[in-house]
Amino acid sequence: MIQAVLLGNADTKRTEYFRKAAQQVKLSFFFADWNDFEVWKAQLLDGQKRLVKIDPPLWKSCSLEELDSLVCDYIRKLDELSEIAAGGTLHFLNHPQAIKDLLNKRDCKRKLEEAGLAVTKMLAYSTDFSSGDAPATQLVEMMRRTGMSQVFIKPVNGSGAAGISAFRIQPKTGRMALYTCAAQHPAHGLINTKRLRCFREQKEVFALLNRILNLDCIVERWYAKAQYGEYTYDLRAVVQDGSVEFLLGRLSKGPITNLHLNNHPLEASELGIPEAVLKETACLCEKAMGCFSGLRYAGIDLLLEKNSLHPKIIEMNAQGDLIYQDIFHHNRIYRREAEMMRAWSVWNAK
Amino acid sequence: MGAEQEQKSVFEHVEGTAKVYSYAYEDYESGDKGVQSMVEDILADPDFPGLTDLAVGDWGDTWDESCQPILDGIVEHAEQFSHIEKLFIGLMGYEECEVSWIMQGNYSKLWAALPNLKRLAIKGSTELELGEICHEGLEELTIICGGIGSDVIASIQNAKLPNLKKLLLYVGVEDYGFDGNADTIKELLAKADFPKLQYLGITDSEIQDELTKVVLESKFMSQIETLDLSMGTLTDIGGALLLEAVPKFPNIKTLDVHYHYMSDEMEEKLKNLPICVDVSEQNEPDEYHGTIYMNAMLTE
Repeated sequence: MIQAVLLGNADTKRTEYFRKAAQQVKLSFFFADWNDFEVWKAQLLDGQKRLVKIDPPLWKSCSLEELDSLVCDYIRKLDELSEIAAGGTLHFLNHPQAIKDLLNKRDCKRKLEEAGLAVTKMLAYSTDFSSGDAPATQLVEMMRRTGMSQVFIKPVNGSGAAGISAFRIQPKTGRMALYTCAAQHPAHGLINTKRLRCFREQKEVFALLNRILNLDCIVERWYAKAQYGEYTYDLRAVVQDGSVEFLLGRLSKGPITNLHLNNHPLEASELGIPEAVLKETACLCEKAMGCFSGLRYAGIDLLLEKNSLHPKIIEMNAQGDLIYQDIFHHNRIYRREAEMMRAWSVWNAK
Repeated sequence: MGAEQEQKSVFEHVEGTAKVYSYAYEDYESGDKGVQSMVEDILADPDFPGLTDLAVGDWGDTWDESCQPILDGIVEHAEQFSHIEKLFIGLMGYEECEVSWIMQGNYSKLWAALPNLKRLAIKGSTELELGEICHEGLEELTIICGGIGSDVIASIQNAKLPNLKKLLLYVGVEDYGFDGNADTIKELLAKADFPKLQYLGITDSEIQDELTKVVLESKFMSQIETLDLSMGTLTDIGGALLLEAVPKFPNIKTLDVHYHYMSDEMEEKLKNLPICVDVSEQNEPDEYHGTIYMNAMLTE
């Protein structure tokens, strides 16, 4: 017997809408809750053939400094799943190794760069500023040396807008601005407030930057993004089996366009993006997917640089398939995934 | 200030057939393109001879490199730029450069070089100099910035612009270049001679109530059709002054006070004036340790 499995979290939009999609395509599946991982993990060794879709676990902590341990725990579980899969009976829509490959922003970016794909330019693959001056001072010096006066700082491990910060400095006057959702909390340390704020006083900026840079971060150039009316936007492409299934514009009046910050989503077809740019974007996404084995779907964030509209990959997420604008309308993305699982079940049942 | 709200201001000033000449990071990171190549690139564009509206955006490292070579290039090639009727220097959003970081230049030679110019918009006030302004045809002058310097205000005050119909100034704040006070604006409005002025915008100020009083007492109140006191810290104090004064000037058809700190009640009262009133974008003051904070819309 062949079984489809959704590994996820009960009472979430992901599970609810995947369930609806599965019903539509007549896919029956077993739901495995992350909270019971240790319990049902043993069942996976029973030799039954299974195809698993892995949704991300839910993290309730808003502490950015706990991110690494949460991610480590997640990676451990993904590794366990990979080990079980080596037995040959467990299969995945997205392989745990592929999820891992994309989870680490640094490794993911490196792989894309090595493949010669257009990505946002890196200033630093690491913020290991453990020796010498304070991290913020070292970052500013690095920016001065490279002539890159505005950057994004992103924790290597993290999703949503957790810890992402936009920082710029005026080299002549020393004026600076730090846009971030991170804040220092007296009890919880560095937290993700999910609210973008701007700091301009050097003392305040450096204090916060030093804390953020102590997380394992990458630093990349902050580009001016394409504009739509009074908004800037970037794109989330959901790619499934090699082709772009959904393209969403994430509009913002601030520098960080993440949908977790209540920015304004709009289907890309309404943004007036030229056909040639859409084709270039789709081609880039397809090539990016080809860089990772065991990856059948992913969410790819891209920016179109202002004026030139050249697409560049910002990051990839092997679980970036939840798009509210889709689930509340046609639920195409989850239906496609349910179809992919059903087709696999039918094929393997023969 | 809301960097997020800056965008609107930019786009309000570009409409119709303007072509924006701007470099992306990829263009200027290698050093091939930059402020020195902008005029050359504009002149090389086959579309350029047919344009009447010209906007210059990011010229590359705008926080470091003044746009002076662009202004000088226009003057040097005045004949080829003589058809330009609308010019915007510094059309860029906050992602390209914070407004107060844009390095502007000296416009004193531009007035004679562009005799057909009707509208000029400038974004950024750092290193901005307007010099002696004398232009027969200029109808609109807009300065968008986080703080306008008193030397720039003095140039406008002494300007010879007999056909100026619209003057829109972002006054801004002290930290970002405004080194005057309400008296500075009072003197500007007292001494400026713009007989055809129809639109007066004294905006984006952290002393918007004081400036409202100054504007309402100015000679231009009896001639303008549009009064723009938007994007500042206008409270019910300024709102009450407007309620009392505006009905005395039937020539005023439009009042723009969007982005303000007035109460719901004052908003309603202003909306009931028999003219077109924009009271959108109401803001709430921030209170921190007992101190009230209000911000003009565009500063940094």
